[in-house]
Formats: sequence, structure tokens, C-alpha cells
Amino acid sequence: VAKTSLTSPPWPEVKLPDPVEEAKYHAEVVRKVNGLISAGRYGRLFAVVHFASKQWKITSEDLIMMDNVLEAECGDRIRMEKVLLVGADDFTLIGRPLLGKDLVRVEATVIEKTESWPKVNVRFWRRHNFQRKKIIANPQTVLRINTIEIYPCLS
Amino acid sequence: RYVRQLQRLQLLFSPTAADARGARQFVEEAAQDFARQHPDVVLYVSPHSGPGPAPVLRAEYLNGTVREELIASKTSEEIVQLATKLANQSGLDIVRIRKPFHTDNPSVQGQWHPLTNKPSILTIQGPRLQPQ
Repeated sequence: VAKTSLTSPPWPEVKLPDPVEEAKYHAEVVRKVNGLISAGRYGRLFAVVHFASKQWKITSEDLIMMDNVLEAECGDRIRMEKVLLVGADDFTLIGRPLLGKDLVRVEATVIEKTESWPKVNVRFWRRHNFQRKKIIANPQTVLRINTIEIYPCLS
Repeated sequence: RYVRQLQRLQLLFSPTAADARGARQFVEEAAQDFARQHPDVVLYVSPHSGPGPAPVLRAEYLNGTVREELIASKTSEEIVQLATKLANQSGLDIVRIRKPFHTDNPSVQGQWHPLTNKPSILTIQGPRLQPQ
């Protein structure tokens, strides 16, 4: 059959490697990463955490503010579950979609619980003598991420 | 390690004014409980006799900002809520904050620039590899 411009797809054809070889390669990568973690040879860790219906990329000692009220008092330590991704300088651990709780531990402290700046909500209807003014101040909480830790129990 | 940002709470009111009734009730009933629940906040109660300025709850924070809130014609529970709210705040100005997060180290694996994940021959030769 003659080859036209539509016989093969326009993207370059990719040959998948052997499944046996791939399994060996995966096992070796896992072994290396396990070795790195258990030896403790990673610097700063960052994590992607799902919290307050938003996903945040956090490292240690950084501030996060949410637009709601948490039921913890100021100064309480909070452990965040629902960790989607953890990474360091050389390797990343990707969860599908969450990582196990015995693998990662993210701790944060509630620093302050304030209100937002007073937002003005004005409803105006022209030529109808209709004007309503309302000042809204949402409660906010500020958290500081203390630590992110991983434990060497990969599989 | 958590340090409360509120230094002291000063309650200025006059015992004879009519609009300081809530402040007087707060001082009689709830002030001791409040002081016991927040042991690291100092609560000063200073009544000034005679018709003076309006009753005010003044909060001073560790960075020097002073916030005054009127307590005229407020019930004792409202004053308690106000006091807890002030105690949980820090002394920063309540202005519009542009970003809800703040990091000192934004990138761990190196910030992305358009030449990451490209073959390194691009940095040597430049973007035009095949002469067209």
C-alpha cells in the first residue's frame, strides 16, 4: 500500500521498553530512593497538600492563610493529612492521589485568627433610589508549617 | 513554640456612665475567667470616675501597634468575644493582603526556566539547530 501523509500519525513513534526490563529498572530506582531516604541524604522537603479546599505547595517555615475558621485554638499543633506530593532535591514521591499517612507527616501551628480587612458590599440601582451598604469582615486563620518528614517505608 | 502577640489589654471605663454597663458587668463576672484562660495576657482595669471619654478596650501588641475598640452599650458576652478576637490577633495592620501564602524558600528543585528539560546542545549552539 502506498504511503501517504496520513498513514502514520504526525507525532514521532515511541517504542515502549520491555516489561521485564522495566520492572527491574523500577525496582532499582525504588531501592536507590529508599537508600537515600534511610541514609537521610535529602535537604529541604516540599509537599503539595490539599487543605481548606485548596492545594498548597509548602515547605517548612512558611505561612499560609485561609479564609475560614478552624476549630483549633491559637498555638495548637495540627497534623495535615491529604498529602498529594512530596519532593526533595533529587527525588519526588507522587501519590495516586494521596500518599500514605505512615509515609509523610506535615505539622503546622495556628498562629493567629484575625478578620480580613473590611470589605464594602454596596448594592445600587440607578434612578430607583435604592442603595444598600454592608461591611463584611471574614474571619481568617494563619498557619505556619513547622516540619515535613518522610519515613523510609516505601514499597 | 507559640508566642501570643497581645501584650496587654487595658479596659478604660467610668463606673458612673450609663453606656459602660456592659463593661462593669464584664469586670464583675467574666474578667477573672478571661484572665485565667489567657495566662500570657495582662489585663489592666482602670476606672476613671466622673463623666470622661467613652469606654474603650485598648489592646497593645508586641510590635507596638495599639488598637482601641469602643465597648459603649455592649453586653458582657460581646465584650468577651471582642477580647478573645483581639487576643487571637497579631499586631499587623488589617490591610488587603495580596497573597495568602509567604515562603522564604520558594523553589526546592531549582526554579523552572525555559531551558530546563531541553537537550543541552541548545545552550551551546542556540535555538536554530537545523538550517531551513
